[in-house]
Amino acid sequence: MELKKEKLPEALALLQSDARLFLPAEADGLPQFTVWDGKQAPCLSGNPPLPPKDVLFPRSEKMYGYNLSTGDVADLASPEKQVIFGIRPCDVKSIEKLDRAFLEKGYADSYYRTRREQLTTLSLGCTEAARTCFCESMGLDPADAPGADLMLNDAGDAFSVKSNSEKGEAVLARWGKLLTEDADKDAKGAGKDVSVHCAFKVDLPADLPERLTARFEDPAWAALSRACLGCGCCSYICPTCYCFDIGQENRGAEGTAFRCWDSCMFSDYSRMAGGHNPRPSKRERLRNRYLHKLAYFNERYGTTLCVGCGRCVDKCPAHLDITKVIETVGGER
Amino acid sequence: MSDQQEKMRQGAEKLLQNEEVGYVIGWGTTRFADRTTPIFIDTPAAASDFVWNEYAVNSLAKYLLDDKYPDKKIGVFVRGCESRALNRMLKDKQVKRENLYLIGTPCDGKKAGRCSLCRERNPLLYDVLLWEPVPNVPAEGRFDRVRAIEAMTPDERYGYWGAVYDKCIRCYACRNACPVCSCRECYVDMSRTGFQGKQHSRSDNQIFGVTRAFHVGDRCIECGECERVCPMDLPIMGQTQKILKDINELAGEYECGLDAESENFLGAFDLDDKDEFM
Repeated sequence: MELKKEKLPEALALLQSDARLFLPAEADGLPQFTVWDGKQAPCLSGNPPLPPKDVLFPRSEKMYGYNLSTGDVADLASPEKQVIFGIRPCDVKSIEKLDRAFLEKGYADSYYRTRREQLTTLSLGCTEAARTCFCESMGLDPADAPGADLMLNDAGDAFSVKSNSEKGEAVLARWGKLLTEDADKDAKGAGKDVSVHCAFKVDLPADLPERLTARFEDPAWAALSRACLGCGCCSYICPTCYCFDIGQENRGAEGTAFRCWDSCMFSDYSRMAGGHNPRPSKRERLRNRYLHKLAYFNERYGTTLCVGCGRCVDKCPAHLDITKVIETVGGER
Repeated sequence: MSDQQEKMRQGAEKLLQNEEVGYVIGWGTTRFADRTTPIFIDTPAAASDFVWNEYAVNSLAKYLLDDKYPDKKIGVFVRGCESRALNRMLKDKQVKRENLYLIGTPCDGKKAGRCSLCRERNPLLYDVLLWEPVPNVPAEGRFDRVRAIEAMTPDERYGYWGAVYDKCIRCYACRNACPVCSCRECYVDMSRTGFQGKQHSRSDNQIFGVTRAFHVGDRCIECGECERVCPMDLPIMGQTQKILKDINELAGEYECGLDAESENFLGAFDLDDKDEFM
């Protein structure tokens, strides 16, 4: 199946008719996943600096409201159908990882689950790799996202289209006559050379989690952390970082409970009642962040918490580099 | 420039050999030729890791706050901007001069937006100067963009800053990179006080922006690190520059970090002040 590029606006309008449609577009001078206004041209090259993580896991989310005098509690979650068009395979993979954290191991986060159930993802395969992209080293294919509901790839004047799920089938059914059959091209966009490879690479040893955990006290952590400024840039632009804080906001008797993104790179993140902080300096915080990504998550879920999107490598103010961490602490000794 | 790089490597090597310093802070390579990262070298042999090119953009001064009580002196390469930061940090009693060995490296400007406004390319304080000072270039248009914002109507201005802070992700990279932002505990991290709401909203983001601007506005050396490190490319030095421009207009020429004695404008007080407004 394929969708002619000239039909894209029509196809997007169909998606938008009963759901909130996010797509990468220039807004306020910045490419970002934004709610489509029906006219904006989607950015079909590159990947925005911020992942679409907040579609599922908002930066701030009102959970429930309460009234202290009446004791009334009202659920403020408002499930609504959402579609992301143009999400790259790395960011699709990050959603699979978030699913593990929020939905598995005996507890499903209801706020996340509701959004997740209402979400359809239409992934667009990459035709070029940014110089900081290393998704292939993390086991991904830049032109295929098996976890997406629908996979699109550039095939010249059209997108090849392949459904991976029931939600994807529903989109195909809805697009119906917009689609054309093309027997010569398979879903990965043969017919046009879309083979794309990352020049940026890192060796991921099979026993990386064990190595890193065994090297918990390695002096390399202190050395790596010295240039770190201790800001939360890496966590907030990361598609897989999912830590949050919960708080309340009260106005008289009325109040709401909210949750919002938090970062383990901040000093108050691990500060305990009484003031003790088990991660008092950059060394412990940086070590924890990378161990969570490359060891602890593996121990719990059998997969790393990094998809190789390269955003942190691109944006770190001190020019720290996760691939260097993997090589320095996780390398052969 | 490779000649200068050689001088830096040799200078650092000698200091480490003679054990005059415990380590030297400078710039080293990354996996990308056009990016450097701060490195901390403590053996003479590793001094050859230092690089000096147009991509040596990171300010080094802030790292001195990570080690306030060193066993030995800390060696650090100092350009005009680092020296202005150091003057401010010395005045604010954040570092002790006797703990530092300042290796002066006059600078022709790096590939950073801020360098086009640089007015002090040569270090203003140093223990050794590795090469001849370079001529300062008159920087035009210091407050041009502040004027452009001042020319807006109040509604336009609110729209302008509102849009800026809608994009802010509150990663606090600007705070952490700023060499004069030196509180031991930032008000932002005092989560139980309620000073700074943790939610992501235009108002909470703007409160952070305004508070940051006022905390450092009269000590801002205009090094531009806040804007360089911002992952969202927000033009936030415009805020501290607005404060500097106001001070310039109210009290005459004012520039921060040119010496280690001058009071900061908003922090200065006088016991004979008449307090007429109280």
